[in-house]
Amino acid sequence: MMDNLVRTATRRAFLGRASAGVGLAALNSLLNPSPLGAAQVANQGSKGAVNPLDFAPKAKRVIYLYQAGGPSHLETFDYKPKLAEMTGKPMPESFTQGQQIAQLQGQKLICLGPTHGFRRFGQSGQMICELFPQVGGIVDECSIVRSMWTEQINHDPAHTFMNSGSIITGRPSMGSWVLYGLGAETDNLPGFVVLVSAGKGGQMQPIAARQWSAGILPSKFQGVRFNSVGDAVLYIKNPRGVTNDMQRDSIQAINALNELEYKSLRDPEIQTRIAQYEMAFQMQASVPGLLDVSKEPSHVMEMYGAKPGDGSFASNCLLARRLAERGVRFIQLYHRDWDHHNDVKNNMVFKAEEVDKPTAALIADLKQHGMLDDTLVIWGGEFGRTPMSQGGSGRDHHIRGFSFLLAGGGIKKGLAYGATDDLGYAAVEKPVSVHDFHATMMALLGVDVAKLAVKYQGLDVRLTGPEGGRIVHDLIA
Amino acid sequence: MMRAMRNSWRLAAACLSAVGLVAAQTNRISFNHDIRPIMSDTCFRCHGPDKNSRMAGMRLDIREEAINPIRSGRIPIVPGDPEKSEIIERIFADGAKIMPPAYAHKTLTQKQKDTIRRWVSEGAVYEGHWAYQPLQRPAVPEAGEALPAKNPIDNFIQSRLKQDGIAASKESDKRTLLRRVTIDLTGLIPTPVELTAFLSDSSPDAYEKAVDRLLASPRYAEQRTMHWLDAVRYADTCGFHGDNILPAWPYRDYVLRSFLTNKPFDEFTREQIAGDLLPNATVEQRVASAYNRLNRTSAEGGLQPKEYLAKYGADRVRTLSAVWLGSTLGCAECHDHKFDPLLTKDFYAMKAFFADVQETGLVPDRGSKAWGAQLALPNEEQKRTLTTLDDKLAVAKARLNEGAAKLPASEQQWEEDVKRRWQAGELAWTWQQPMAAEALHGARLTIYNREPVESNYYLSGSLKTDKKPGEGLVVASGPNPDNETYVITLKPGAGTWNQLGIDVVQDESLPGARYARGADRFLLSEVEAEVSEPSAASRKIKFSLATVNDSPPGPSSTTDPSMPPLGAIDGDPKTAWGVQFGEARDPFLAIRFTEAVTTTPRSTVIVTLRHESELRKAVIGRLRLALAADPFAWPPIADASKRARGNDATGAKTWASGLPEDVMKALRRPADDRDDREQTAVRDYMTWSSPALAADNIELQRLETERGLLEAAIPHVVTTVSVDPGVTRILPRANWMDASQPIVEPAIPRFLGVLDTKGERATRLDLANWLVSHNNPLTARAFVNRTWREFFGTGLSKTLDDLGSQGEWPTHPELLDWLASEFMHPEFQAASARDWDVKHIIRLIVTSHTYRQSSIPDPASSEKDPENRLLAHQNRFRVDAENVRDIALEVSGLLAQEFGGPSVNPVEPPGYLAALNFPKREYSASHGPDLYRRGLYTTWQRTYLHPSLLNFDAPTREECAVNRSVSNTPLQALDLLNDPIYVEAARVFAQEAIKDGGKTFDARLDWVFDRALSRRAIPEERSILRGLFERDLKSFTADPAAAHDLLSEGEATLSNDRDPSLLAAMTTVTRAVLNLHELDTRN
Repeated sequence: MMDNLVRTATRRAFLGRASAGVGLAALNSLLNPSPLGAAQVANQGSKGAVNPLDFAPKAKRVIYLYQAGGPSHLETFDYKPKLAEMTGKPMPESFTQGQQIAQLQGQKLICLGPTHGFRRFGQSGQMICELFPQVGGIVDECSIVRSMWTEQINHDPAHTFMNSGSIITGRPSMGSWVLYGLGAETDNLPGFVVLVSAGKGGQMQPIAARQWSAGILPSKFQGVRFNSVGDAVLYIKNPRGVTNDMQRDSIQAINALNELEYKSLRDPEIQTRIAQYEMAFQMQASVPGLLDVSKEPSHVMEMYGAKPGDGSFASNCLLARRLAERGVRFIQLYHRDWDHHNDVKNNMVFKAEEVDKPTAALIADLKQHGMLDDTLVIWGGEFGRTPMSQGGSGRDHHIRGFSFLLAGGGIKKGLAYGATDDLGYAAVEKPVSVHDFHATMMALLGVDVAKLAVKYQGLDVRLTGPEGGRIVHDLIA
Repeated sequence: MMRAMRNSWRLAAACLSAVGLVAAQTNRISFNHDIRPIMSDTCFRCHGPDKNSRMAGMRLDIREEAINPIRSGRIPIVPGDPEKSEIIERIFADGAKIMPPAYAHKTLTQKQKDTIRRWVSEGAVYEGHWAYQPLQRPAVPEAGEALPAKNPIDNFIQSRLKQDGIAASKESDKRTLLRRVTIDLTGLIPTPVELTAFLSDSSPDAYEKAVDRLLASPRYAEQRTMHWLDAVRYADTCGFHGDNILPAWPYRDYVLRSFLTNKPFDEFTREQIAGDLLPNATVEQRVASAYNRLNRTSAEGGLQPKEYLAKYGADRVRTLSAVWLGSTLGCAECHDHKFDPLLTKDFYAMKAFFADVQETGLVPDRGSKAWGAQLALPNEEQKRTLTTLDDKLAVAKARLNEGAAKLPASEQQWEEDVKRRWQAGELAWTWQQPMAAEALHGARLTIYNREPVESNYYLSGSLKTDKKPGEGLVVASGPNPDNETYVITLKPGAGTWNQLGIDVVQDESLPGARYARGADRFLLSEVEAEVSEPSAASRKIKFSLATVNDSPPGPSSTTDPSMPPLGAIDGDPKTAWGVQFGEARDPFLAIRFTEAVTTTPRSTVIVTLRHESELRKAVIGRLRLALAADPFAWPPIADASKRARGNDATGAKTWASGLPEDVMKALRRPADDRDDREQTAVRDYMTWSSPALAADNIELQRLETERGLLEAAIPHVVTTVSVDPGVTRILPRANWMDASQPIVEPAIPRFLGVLDTKGERATRLDLANWLVSHNNPLTARAFVNRTWREFFGTGLSKTLDDLGSQGEWPTHPELLDWLASEFMHPEFQAASARDWDVKHIIRLIVTSHTYRQSSIPDPASSEKDPENRLLAHQNRFRVDAENVRDIALEVSGLLAQEFGGPSVNPVEPPGYLAALNFPKREYSASHGPDLYRRGLYTTWQRTYLHPSLLNFDAPTREECAVNRSVSNTPLQALDLLNDPIYVEAARVFAQEAIKDGGKTFDARLDWVFDRALSRRAIPEERSILRGLFERDLKSFTADPAAAHDLLSEGEATLSNDRDPSLLAAMTTVTRAVLNLHELDTRN
């Protein structure tokens, strides 16, 4: 039924009433509403502001598995046997003096060794916490960065910094920059999609919508959150009592009326509006198909551990692959509850159960679909956790060193990059800042982050801020 | 950039900018017009004001420096001699020597290079940046010949147009004109009556009269307030972390009143920045000073106060400089400004003005210290009642104390007796295993007695899951109505009872603060109970008192006075007992009976729990019931995991001993070993549990509850309290941990002057006075530029927040300065205006011919000026987010007219707040007219702004925003098509059309068009809509259930005397009209 509707409600049907030239102009202003975009009207091949690309792209899209709350690097990817030996002993002051800490400020700092074992996985022999055997199974596809560091120690600003390279509100998020720079490969779905899941085991820290905001970029570049409750996309469903046929009929009437206005005023903004109604209708038609996983083979569902409609991280990983297949440029999955101020040992068990299998499944599944090579998969949080204990069993926020897992999209395979010191406190070997990470991600997508700027308040606003970021060439295959 | 978006088609057609047009007209090269924009963009970053990033010791923004030799001995600029000038050599160089260098990603065009060379050869004359020059009223030029100049604005515009040989446009038709000015001034469209009156008024000043009518309207104040709130980043939530509601709306009402009464802008400025410092500050002025407290604040545990104080301070500087100075002083937080003469020192000196604002780094979002300094705003009646209540309370307290003093001197005997009864289980609560549980409005209640039930809860920061027999747990599931009533039947067995206990059980699965099935708390509005025997009629059990377990023993027994325990037994559905934040795990309400109730083995007790509060779904998700024999058994501790276990009088196991924790602790050891707290607890409990004092205790608690409810009903607002100023240091690269740099005193940016404060430390009031003084050229310029944008879509300089070097040179600098002068001190029509008269400036703008021009461009002028920066015609643009909604509600007849008041919650999609926490919550929509208020009154939730506002480009107000983008996206189309409020508006619009629009489709369509579009439908439109109507009428006639579904959207009254299919079909017609581009385009 819906398929049929999509065919009858093609762009031609909507724009056919207008002269072809105007329709095309409207479409172009739709895709390129910025002055930068306007300059590219002549270039029909262009989809985004960066045209041509600065580098040969290795990745076409990004799936970012954002582990919100600050996962402990010491119970995931950063093996610290020396820290285990120090358990219960005071943290040497040489490590911590003059450093910013969060809830532990003013307290005695006692070491807490890794609460779970590590072992070697894969041909590459990477040391990974044994809570993550499935990730261990695909680790030869991945690089682990053990020398991440950030500047913000509280959740809210740390998220903002990780996403936008700044703590000043109004800076575009990285997904918005990517969409702005590269454009979308689909008109039927938003180009930047956000999914949020929650699980067990930590303080469920809030996540502000600012994290996927387009900021000073036009709002068409903002991330669109798909919900697991109510409408998947806000206002995607027809009003109750209105069938798809009636909805199409209404949209056609609205567009026909707007077309009449256009004929008398020749304001191209009206043409843009007509095109938006067409896209809205196509989105209405596409989203149910996207969400309908009933045709996925049962072994795929099992591989992810996904249950339709449960809103879990596993289901979102599967959706991420389906979104990627449909041309969505930037897919960001937030998984909450990594804030383990207490009982990091038991809480890590919950988290590992929730993310280990789906993370591995996504990477394997992308590979099976031939998409891993051009899909950059990122796994990591807004900061790490202290090697010092909080309340005897937990860990506090930590910004000086933590780990990221990267796969696909031009990332080297089986590489371990950088290191923290013996106690897992500070990134001492090949440190990677948030700006460096952004610069590297953009480079993999073919964009020189230093050149991608938008003028605002007299500044050239960039994802990597005024300081800029360094491309970590060693990570790139 | 945002503005340009709308005009991208024009940009595509030609690339001439207005600045280019100016240059083409001038013979000599002008530094400000031609050179500064180039140098600012390409040179100043390394050769500008910031000494730390200056390269080669070369500075080009100041002539004295640029014409003198640099370290290398070379001279950057030799006036009159380009060949000897280093900069000319370098910009024309190749390879490694070229400037700007390749890594800067800035390339000069050949034309730009030639322009610089010519400027040097003409003597390299510098000019100060226009915005920083003293304001001088420019002479009004001659107007054009063809068209009338209504006021000097037109002279400036038309003389400029004449230079380029462009003709201004004719005045718009009256219909368009009235729609335009009504939207711009009030955010709404004219009613058919207003339009008819205007069309039939043929007097020469008909338009001016209409403008005066609109300027006097409260709707005008609302529209101005909407824009101002963006600038001052007003919101209803704190913006960080839990993003909880802060008391701010009285400030919004202050702004409303200020615009309504046309408060002079200087006074308006002074009151907001320094209202608290004004001599004998009025309540109004102290409310205004909430401005200083509208920044985002955090209550995240573990934050470092100094870091956040630095963030709050920086926010204040950014906001102030954008709003009043049109400057980007925020850039100087980390480094000297790259383009403007603003130094890091200036930033911190500006921040120091606010160092006296009383605040903490962690701003509590709950409890008695919430939000720091607040101002209570009781009305006269509330003040009187408070006084009366305080008097009564004093009497009641005295009486209780008197009574307590008379209690038996032998505490020892009392203690022994209590201890004995406690250990025998006589004080304990007996948990009930219900026989039946029913929900009256659709929810499903399941009783778990012996049956195992899964529980998910946090224990010491760690999530636990267990599955154990429920021991009387009642769990709600299934349908989740807004209000719900539980009826639970108990069979307590033989006994005598004096109290009923309600244990609210927390579970992770519950979205409302982990207690309730929605909202952010539970609210138990009424409890009833009756006892019956199989053969006899039931008897109602009367209650005398209710106590909760979140306070020490005594009559004052709740932490949040807005949700007192007595609220559950006072017969008033508006008051309720509730708990919001999730820390009090398993709160327990103990309700005392007026007289003891005796039950037999066959008796049943039926307990009714009503949730009838205005907050939707604040319905308890899990609970247990208990009974106590003793009338003074204390409710068990809130943390269920810490409850004392034992046996009750029947021998059954219980974990509710009936004594306060501290009393139990005390009784376990000799009196001499007790600490103060324990001693007090024993004494308090003795007073509380003395039968002789029961009536006095009850009276005291009743009065305290009444006072608490009154206190909670009194509006509060955050306010500025001035304290000894803290130390303000320059923070190198904004590093708040670095205390190595000097302390700074409050000062305005050095290059703008020095405040004379006779040696005293300058205050916020000094700052405010300077902002609106004749010594400061920026405030008036920034204000009139921003105001201009609201009436033409673009400012005279389109960079509203940056009048500095990197900002856009104004298209009409003289007009901007004339307006700014006129704003500060009117000379044109001065008799009817005051200094800093906002309405005067707006009246000038909207009565100008320039404003009244047609918005249909002439092809010839579009060719020459594709962006219409010279204003040969009016512009067309979409109305602001709030107005999209306002207009739909207005034409449908739904719009509520109330002016000001607490913010409201229009309908929002479920689950939208799911990623928030502290507390975990679900949105709860308002009721009645509050569902249909203007968008301006919507609760501004910073981290999750209402999605329909966000979709239409409203800023989140996490940060000051003096400009809004105007986008056109498919999400907007989905919103207008499917958002329930627009469906409801369409339905009500259709109802009205059928009721008032006549008998035929054509007549009704005329009525709809009159109301929405101020015109009649043309035949093609009529035929499209008639077709839609007829097809849908057929569908709905065939499927009446579908018609019913469509019509049942929303809470507005549904007319039931009509044919539902007809109404549904008409609804699709009005829905189409509400989706028209024309409806929300200001033309």
